[in-house]
Amino acid sequence: MSYNGTAIVAMTGKNCVAIAADKRLGQQFLTVDMDFQKIFPITKKTYVGLPGLATDVQTLYKSNMYRLNEQRDIEPKAFAHMVSSTLYEKRFGPYYIEPIVAGLDKNNNPYICGMDLLGCMDVAHDFIVAGSADENLKGMCENLWEADLEPEDLFETISQALLNAVDRDALSGWGGVVHIITPNEVITRHLKARMD
Amino acid sequence: MLQHKDGSVQNHQHGWEPYVDNGGTSLAIAGEDFCVIASDTRQSEGYSINTRFDPKIHKITDKIMLATTGYSADAKRLTEVIKMQTERYFYKHEKNMESHAAAQMLSVILYQKRFFPYYVFPILAGIDNEGKGCVYSYDPVGNMERVTFQVYGSASGMIQPFLDSQVGFKNQQNVDKTRLLTKEEAISIAVDSFTAATERDIYTGDYLEIYIVDANGIHREQKPLKFD
Amino acid sequence: MDIQLGLAGKDFVILLADNQITNSILTIKHDEDKIYKLSEHVVMSVSGEPGDSSNFSEYILGNTVLYNIRNQHELSVDSCAKFTRKELANALRSRSPYQVNYLIGGYNTISQKPALYRIDYLASIAKVEFAAHGYASYFCYSIFDRMKKPDLTQDEALDILAACVNELTRRLVINHSSYTLKLVDSNGVRVINGEELLKRTSAK
Repeated sequence: MSYNGTAIVAMTGKNCVAIAADKRLGQQFLTVDMDFQKIFPITKKTYVGLPGLATDVQTLYKSNMYRLNEQRDIEPKAFAHMVSSTLYEKRFGPYYIEPIVAGLDKNNNPYICGMDLLGCMDVAHDFIVAGSADENLKGMCENLWEADLEPEDLFETISQALLNAVDRDALSGWGGVVHIITPNEVITRHLKARMD
Repeated sequence: MLQHKDGSVQNHQHGWEPYVDNGGTSLAIAGEDFCVIASDTRQSEGYSINTRFDPKIHKITDKIMLATTGYSADAKRLTEVIKMQTERYFYKHEKNMESHAAAQMLSVILYQKRFFPYYVFPILAGIDNEGKGCVYSYDPVGNMERVTFQVYGSASGMIQPFLDSQVGFKNQQNVDKTRLLTKEEAISIAVDSFTAATERDIYTGDYLEIYIVDANGIHREQKPLKFD
Repeated sequence: MDIQLGLAGKDFVILLADNQITNSILTIKHDEDKIYKLSEHVVMSVSGEPGDSSNFSEYILGNTVLYNIRNQHELSVDSCAKFTRKELANALRSRSPYQVNYLIGGYNTISQKPALYRIDYLASIAKVEFAAHGYASYFCYSIFDRMKKPDLTQDEALDILAACVNELTRRLVINHSSYTLKLVDSNGVRVINGEELLKRTSAK
């Protein structure tokens, strides 16, 4: 789980959700890439963050893509269950990933869900954290998060949580990306961060 | 090792563990002319709570406090040693030890046990000889650094980035990063840190002790944290 | 102790690999070409377990060439890299995973852009501007970081690689007598004389 290094966090707001990740890809303490994608769009209103072993990030993303041939958008809750099943299928030889699903459902209610590597789901009303900086993110979110934040305030909250968390983790950071999912649009912003 | 007649071997040696992690969290924040030192009072071992009230902050002199985390027995012994030494200093020199002297002494005391260390992460905090707030942080073998804020213990991973943000003003623009907090701000950040950490860390909780050290002396406050 | 470097410039990619094959303390071969040409505009360098690296690389080479013949169409560098990753990822969770690391570089003739991919033995893939595998990475990433710039020319790229080789000769316990360099641009693959690079090194 800490071979490549990751920090991913999702938060709910008022009719919006946010999901953010760092950009580092490493091999233990060697940084290989500073622009590595860890969050993937599934529909216009559902995103998935895949923290863990980088090879499994890419394998799992692909294996889930193949299942989305229904010609209609999947609900975040249904998608989370699908990811969970995919993980549990490999119960005795798991993918080393602890995914986070974030999205707005058809009534534009926020939905965020975390999972362990076997697919055990954790649906939260506030925030979900995962990766090698999870402790740090947990502390930041527990302090900064409050209910019913507007998109811009949610952006500031999640960005501050991410940046301060990765600065205390040697394995994650090197920049960040934040997606704010609102009923009408997804705002994507890239964050500059310390490069050490 | 005991060998039976049938050749089977029974191992009667059980490994002796010299250290235990008793959990808990301590933090200190230095201000312009004061210092805030806070710590929870839970003392646990594995999944059991030994006691809900075991203070980890100790008074060294009228101006210096010592906050500890790690192995409780070692922390208590270390506190004893430091108190003994500061007391000897007082009777020998007829004055209290200054914080920078106590800080250096603590480093030496820790290093004296370099190859069987006190399993303690100490934070020495108070006011220095110029009346300014000071925090000295250490590792178990005596590496020392003077800082403006520090947190150690089971919830340090959660609290340290929060302090970086709120006390060190990291990742913020258009702010004076050298600004020191007011007493009220420091206390409120300490309290927030612990209420948040208690929510997620099973080793932190029960009661919060806060000491404020300033020119008027040492002031103590106690607040309840969650019991679960 | 294999050395494998890659660098993407303005409109080209260069791969560098050493020419040695070793077994324990023995050097078996001094003139091995570890950079495979997958198609007119794609090259792939390899390091790792000796048997695995040739076996798996030839499998990839065979399949890409077969694709090109069957479809009368050249597989792009991006497709080659992703194909390799997928095969390596499937093997990873089989009974016999391959212990091989790849750099796949090429020039995409459709998008008119160079591309360099770094794939490690776990099959994680990253599109990068510069890359290294193995011990060389501990020496060369810092040199890349220091000397890289946007829109690198071929001459500047060779200077960077020369600096890397220079550092490796100075500081790595194993010394390599020769290197293979292959450059890909819109005109296809070109072999650069390793001796030329060593001359740059000594000139510095």
